[in-house]
Amino acid sequence: MRLLLGNRAFLVVLFAALALVPVVANQYTVYVGNLMMLYIILAVGLNLLVGFAGQLAFANAAMYGIGAYGAALLQVKLGWPYWLAAPSGALMAMAIGTLLAFPALRLSGIYLALATLAFAQATQWVLLHWETVTFGAGGFAVPEPDFRAVGLRASDGIYYVSWIVTVLLVIFAWRVVRSRVGRAMVAMRDREIAAQALGVDLLRYKAMAFALSGFYAGTAGALYSAVLNFVSPEGFDLFQMVLHKSMVVVGGLGSIVGSVLGAALLVYLLDVLRQFKATQEIVFGALLLGFVLFQPHGVVEFFRRHVPGWDEPLHS
Amino acid sequence: MDEAGGRQAEDDRRDHARIGRGAILIFSYLLATGITSGALYALVALGIVIVYKSTEVVNLAHGELFMMGGFLAYTLHVMARVPYIPSLLLAVAGAFLIGIVTDRVAFRPLIREGLVSVLLATIGVSFILKGLARLIWGGKGDYLAFPPLVSPEPIRVGNVMIMSQQLVVLVAAIVVMLAFALFFKTTRAGKFMQATASNPKAATLVGIRVDRVYMYTFGVGAAVAGASAVLMAPLTLLYPDIGFLLFIKGFAAAVLGGLASVPGAIVGGLLVGILEQFAAGFIGTTVQDVSAFVVIMFALIFLPTGILGARGVRKI
Repeated sequence: MRLLLGNRAFLVVLFAALALVPVVANQYTVYVGNLMMLYIILAVGLNLLVGFAGQLAFANAAMYGIGAYGAALLQVKLGWPYWLAAPSGALMAMAIGTLLAFPALRLSGIYLALATLAFAQATQWVLLHWETVTFGAGGFAVPEPDFRAVGLRASDGIYYVSWIVTVLLVIFAWRVVRSRVGRAMVAMRDREIAAQALGVDLLRYKAMAFALSGFYAGTAGALYSAVLNFVSPEGFDLFQMVLHKSMVVVGGLGSIVGSVLGAALLVYLLDVLRQFKATQEIVFGALLLGFVLFQPHGVVEFFRRHVPGWDEPLHS
Repeated sequence: MDEAGGRQAEDDRRDHARIGRGAILIFSYLLATGITSGALYALVALGIVIVYKSTEVVNLAHGELFMMGGFLAYTLHVMARVPYIPSLLLAVAGAFLIGIVTDRVAFRPLIREGLVSVLLATIGVSFILKGLARLIWGGKGDYLAFPPLVSPEPIRVGNVMIMSQQLVVLVAAIVVMLAFALFFKTTRAGKFMQATASNPKAATLVGIRVDRVYMYTFGVGAAVAGASAVLMAPLTLLYPDIGFLLFIKGFAAAVLGGLASVPGAIVGGLLVGILEQFAAGFIGTTVQDVSAFVVIMFALIFLPTGILGARGVRKI
C-alpha cells in the first residue's frame, strides 16, 4: 500500500503516462507533453541551485537560452548534426553557469540575485543585438532532427529523446541530493560559515551547484530548439524567469518530486492560459506570491503530511 | 611653394578647430542629456535606497511601482484631462498607496521568513502589477505618448542646445530630491524612518512603531518612484515593460553609489546616466541599454560597497 501511494509511485505513474502520450494523443498534446518534460528539467535544475544550495540566482532563463541558441547555431552555422550540437549547447550553458559561481563567492542575497538578473538581461541583449551570429529579434528556424532510421516522426522522436533525458536527469538529481554533494549544498544553504567550518569547500560546491543547474537548463534549451524548430530571444525573457521560479516554489523548494509536480501543474496552466499574456503574468505572479505567503513549502508539503509512503526527506 | 604650404597648414588648423568645436558640442550635448536621464535614475535609485536603508530588502517591484505611477498620470492627464500638477500629485498618492499594499502583502508577513521569501514575493507583486497594466492599458507593443509639458523649442545655454523639456525635468528632479531631504530632516515621520534605519531595536525601545515605519517607508519609496515616472513620461513613452528597464538602471545607480547611501544614489544615478549617454554617443545606441547591466556586474564584483557606501562588516 505504502509503495503504491508514495513519491516513487507518483514519479513512475507520471513518466509511464508521459511515455504513452505519443501513442494515444494528437500532435498538439504531444507538444504540450514535451514542454512539460522540458520544464521538469528546468525546475529540477533550478531547485538544485535555489532550493538545495540556497543561491538565489536569476540566470536560469539565460542558461536555457544559451543551451537553445548553442545547439541551434552549431547546426545552422557550422552544419553540426543535432546529436553533437545538443550536448555541446548544454555544455556551453554549463560552462557559463559555472562562471557565475565566482561572483557568487563574493556576493550573496540581494547582490547575487541582482547580479544574476543583470547577467540574464545582458544575455538577452546579446541575443537581440549580436545579429551577425544570433539573427537578432526575429529568431531563426532550426532544422528538424531526423528520426527516419528508427521509423518515427520528428516530433515523436524528439519526444522520446526528451523522455529518456528527463528520466535520467530526474534520477540523477534524486541521487545527487542524497549524496555527500547534496548534503554539502544543504549545509552551505543553511549556514555558510558553519558549513565552511565543517570542511565544506564553498567554491567547489557553489561551482557544482551552478554547473549542475546550468547543465540542466542548457539541456532543456537544446531540446527546446528541436521541439519548436525555432528559437528567438523572446523565449528566454523575464517571464520565463518568473515561470521557472514559480514552478519551483509551487512544487516546493528543496524537493525534487516537488519540482516535477510544480512543473507539470504549471505547464498545464500555461497551456490553458496560452491566449492571454497579461492573465498569465497575473496568475503566475499571484501563484508565486500566494505560495510564498501561505504554503512556503509548496504542494509537496501537503503530500508529505497526508500521503502514507511519501518519504522524501525534508530539505526545506 | 611656401605660401601653399602655409595655406595648407592654416586650413588644417581651421579644420581641427572645427572638429574640436564639434566634439565639444557633441560632448556637452551628451553630458546634458546624461545629466537629465541621470537625475531620473537618481530618483529611481533614491526609492530603492530608502526602502533598503530601513528594511535591508530591495523591492523588486519598484520598477512596476514606477510604471503604475506613469500610467496613473497618463489616465488622469491624457484621458481625464486633469491638469498636469494635480495629475502628478494624484499619481504620487496612488503610487504611495500601491507601495503600502506591497508592504502589507509582500513584506510584513514575511519579515521573519528571510530574504529569499521577500524577494520572491516582490517578484510576484511585480508580475501582478505588470499584468494588470497590460490588461488595462494595452498589450505588448502599445506605447503611449505623454504630451510635452512645455514647447519643444530647444534652449541655448552658452554653447549647448538643451531641450526645454529636459530642463524642466532636471529642475523638477532636483526639487523632488530637496523635498525628500527636507522630509527626512524636519518631519517627525522622517526622523522615525532615520531612527529605524540606523537601529530598529533601539527604535522599538524608544516607542517607535517599527512595522508602521516600514509601511511608510515602502509608501514613500513608491511615491518617489511615482514622481519620477510622471516627470519622465513626457520624455519617453509609457509601456508595461518600462518598469523593469528603469528598475535595473536605478539599481545600477544605487549599487554604484552604495546601496544604503542617499547621496550615493544621486551620484550613482548621474554617473549611470552620463555613462549611458557616452556609451550611446561614442560606441553605438544599442550599447545604451546594456551599459546599466555592465555597471551592475562590475560594481558588484569590484566595488561592492559602492562609492559612498560604508565599509561592509561581515555578519555571522
